[in-house]
Amino acid sequence: MLTVAGLNLSIAGAPILKQVGFSVAEGEIFGLVGESGSGKSMTAYTIMGLMPRGSEVQGQVRLDDANLLQMSESEMCGVRGSQVGMVFQEPMTALNPLATIGDQVAETAMIHGEMGRREARTLARQTLDRVGLPPDRFHLDRYPHELSGGQRQRVVIAMAIALRPRLLIADEPTTALDVTTQAQIIRLLRRLVEEDGMALMLITHDLGVVAGLVDHMAIMRHGEVVEAGAAEAVFRSVRHPYTRALVEASNHAPDRSLRRRVEPEPLLEVRDVVRDYPVARRTLFGRREFFRAVDQVSFTIRRGESLGLVGESGCGKSTLTRAILGLDPVQGGEIRIDGEPVDADVPHSIRRKIQVVFQDPYGSFNPRHRVARLVAEPFHLMSEPPTGAERRERVDKALADVGLPGESAGRYIHEFSGGQRQRIAIARALVIEPELIVLDEAVSALDVSIRAQILDLLADLTVRHRVSYLFIAHDLSVVRAITDRVLVMRAGRIVEEGETEAIFIGARHPYTQDLIAATPSIARGLASRTGRAKGEEAPT
Amino acid sequence: MTEIRPEAAAAEAAGLDEMRRAALTSRSFVAGALLTAVFIAMAAVSFVWTPYDVTVLTIPDKFLPPSPAHLFGTDQFGRDIFSMIMVGARTSILVAVVAVGIGVVLGVPLGLAAAASRRSLFDELIMRTNDVVFAFPALLMAILITAVFGPGIVNAIIAIGIYNTPVFARLARGAALTLWSRDFLLAARVAGKGPLLISVEHILPNIANLLIVQGTILFSLGILSEAAFSYVGLGAQPPLPSWGRMLADSQTLISLAPHTAIFPGLAIVLAVLGLNLMGDGMRDVLDPRLRRSRG
Repeated sequence: MLTVAGLNLSIAGAPILKQVGFSVAEGEIFGLVGESGSGKSMTAYTIMGLMPRGSEVQGQVRLDDANLLQMSESEMCGVRGSQVGMVFQEPMTALNPLATIGDQVAETAMIHGEMGRREARTLARQTLDRVGLPPDRFHLDRYPHELSGGQRQRVVIAMAIALRPRLLIADEPTTALDVTTQAQIIRLLRRLVEEDGMALMLITHDLGVVAGLVDHMAIMRHGEVVEAGAAEAVFRSVRHPYTRALVEASNHAPDRSLRRRVEPEPLLEVRDVVRDYPVARRTLFGRREFFRAVDQVSFTIRRGESLGLVGESGCGKSTLTRAILGLDPVQGGEIRIDGEPVDADVPHSIRRKIQVVFQDPYGSFNPRHRVARLVAEPFHLMSEPPTGAERRERVDKALADVGLPGESAGRYIHEFSGGQRQRIAIARALVIEPELIVLDEAVSALDVSIRAQILDLLADLTVRHRVSYLFIAHDLSVVRAITDRVLVMRAGRIVEEGETEAIFIGARHPYTQDLIAATPSIARGLASRTGRAKGEEAPT
Repeated sequence: MTEIRPEAAAAEAAGLDEMRRAALTSRSFVAGALLTAVFIAMAAVSFVWTPYDVTVLTIPDKFLPPSPAHLFGTDQFGRDIFSMIMVGARTSILVAVVAVGIGVVLGVPLGLAAAASRRSLFDELIMRTNDVVFAFPALLMAILITAVFGPGIVNAIIAIGIYNTPVFARLARGAALTLWSRDFLLAARVAGKGPLLISVEHILPNIANLLIVQGTILFSLGILSEAAFSYVGLGAQPPLPSWGRMLADSQTLISLAPHTAIFPGLAIVLAVLGLNLMGDGMRDVLDPRLRRSRG
């Protein structure tokens, strides 16, 4: 139905897409997979005729017999929304915050279907029902800010499918969502494909998502399709070296056999910690109310141990992190490192034992400082900070530890890629030789191949340095690769705790079981495929 | 904070080099800097030499049109307008620089302190006081001060400076607040740095471009305010020439001798334009990210 052939795109003279070609058949699910910068989203935008200014396109994009590239803008407007629908990655920004969800879904129908407002609202109601937003809880007059991320993504999907398009393009529709929500959205998309006989083009970086879902797939790299074919064949044979590298990186577990022994004495003790936030007063003179973000949490990290803390967004894990770092006061319980209490005014000699690596490789550095100064920042915690050649030597050593050349020290942070920035963040944490490094979603924003490299680096550092990790993540598969023990957190409480492998094999708490089941994995995806082939319902 | 190492000095020099290159390729910066330099040079030269003495009245030479002898012509007392504009540049630059200086020195620390203690009583106190000061127009402030201390250039400067303070305080607080939620400030706090050190080391360099742009806008507003004050007689007093008073004096004569109004007016326009262009260019030059994208 959709055929892309010999598609070339260059923006301001720089080639972005090179000879991209694939086809999507009626009613099938097609996966377009690649890492950031591979051109997968740009391909989707080109199909929709939404290229940025100054781009030159050659080749063909055929929807049935019509070449979309030769259509005028007004003709394309007739195609978009009615024949081809699109779902974007970020449900927070894809909706107009000032319009009700009903109006936004009805809008598509009113523009294309020549429907009146009343009919369009009726259609919007039906469509919202179909995407799992029932009328009693999700009235048409609700606003986007009243919904959760997953619910907003359902609204975005409703907008895209309201007129029953023949093709739905979904650009990373679940990347910004929690794993359990992601599983629900995937299930919804699959159901809609079956109900409407619509084709779905799913763009993603996550091989685990496509493994159990798509019929055909194409893998892109540097603007080219490197491998394409039936999904099962691609996964089974893995012919192209890049595909193999991607699959390996997705399943990557760093070699941790050489790590130091875990010593019995506790390094970090968290006892019955409570963290409350004041909530806005309901009435002018109402009593101030509090939201309990962390509720009686206790755990211990032993010296040399690597502990994982897993939970979905809003579970309180970041709040707990800030308390452990001594950035926020706690309302109950205590936190001790090496037996010394940690609170908002902890002395420097204690504080230097904990350092942190944040999630966002772009926001965690001052753009105005050079790398040497950024990495040297924690020296402030030392009573006698090294100076001159010694300071320079220690910065160079920290950079060398994370695999960056010494000349990086003289450069600004914007000259580095996301993976390199995360290395610099680790160098900054390492430079004063802390006992504990808190990794707050430190690899979540990275591509799988870069993520594998950073995990290797972290594993390697435990061999060379006496350092423990508190590894905070929403992604269980990452935690599995790098931690000895894992805690599962939900709504401010620890619901399960145990040896990492034991949790993965036999989780007792239903929430942990849900989390594990929802985590995309290539092996499980492929297994569910063979299951379906035998005529059974796929386990979800 | 740290002594200069040779490598750091080399890096710093490379940075300055980059900055110089960026500055020279930014058209608006070059144009603005040239215009500004012309006015500063005029003001500087006027201390040692002007074509004519601006305090000597030669009534027979009044209302002469522009000629080689009097480049911009003469006013109703026969004074050379070019010389008066040269001396008037002194007044304008003095007022603008000192008034913006007062605004920066008082406003920026207040704003940074308010942001560092965000949502505290101290923050409220600073910002609400600012609101009160902000509610008074500069001219009203000038009338108030003049009523107490008498008219004069110093009082005009103080009035404009007080008016500038809440502008900088608000700007600094607003920009700093968005920075306080960024990860790199958390990292600095994890490195044990207190609010004062973080404000100076991390926040100030990152809001400097905003402050510089605001500063150049207020420079030009300062020149305009001085002109306005002098126009209504609250600013520079005779015989000290000022562009604003030259305009005020010429308004009844505009049909008789238009050049008496055109040249001081042009001086104000060009000085304001030069400063604005320079500020705009300087923002690009100071940001290492924008510098690179210029190639």
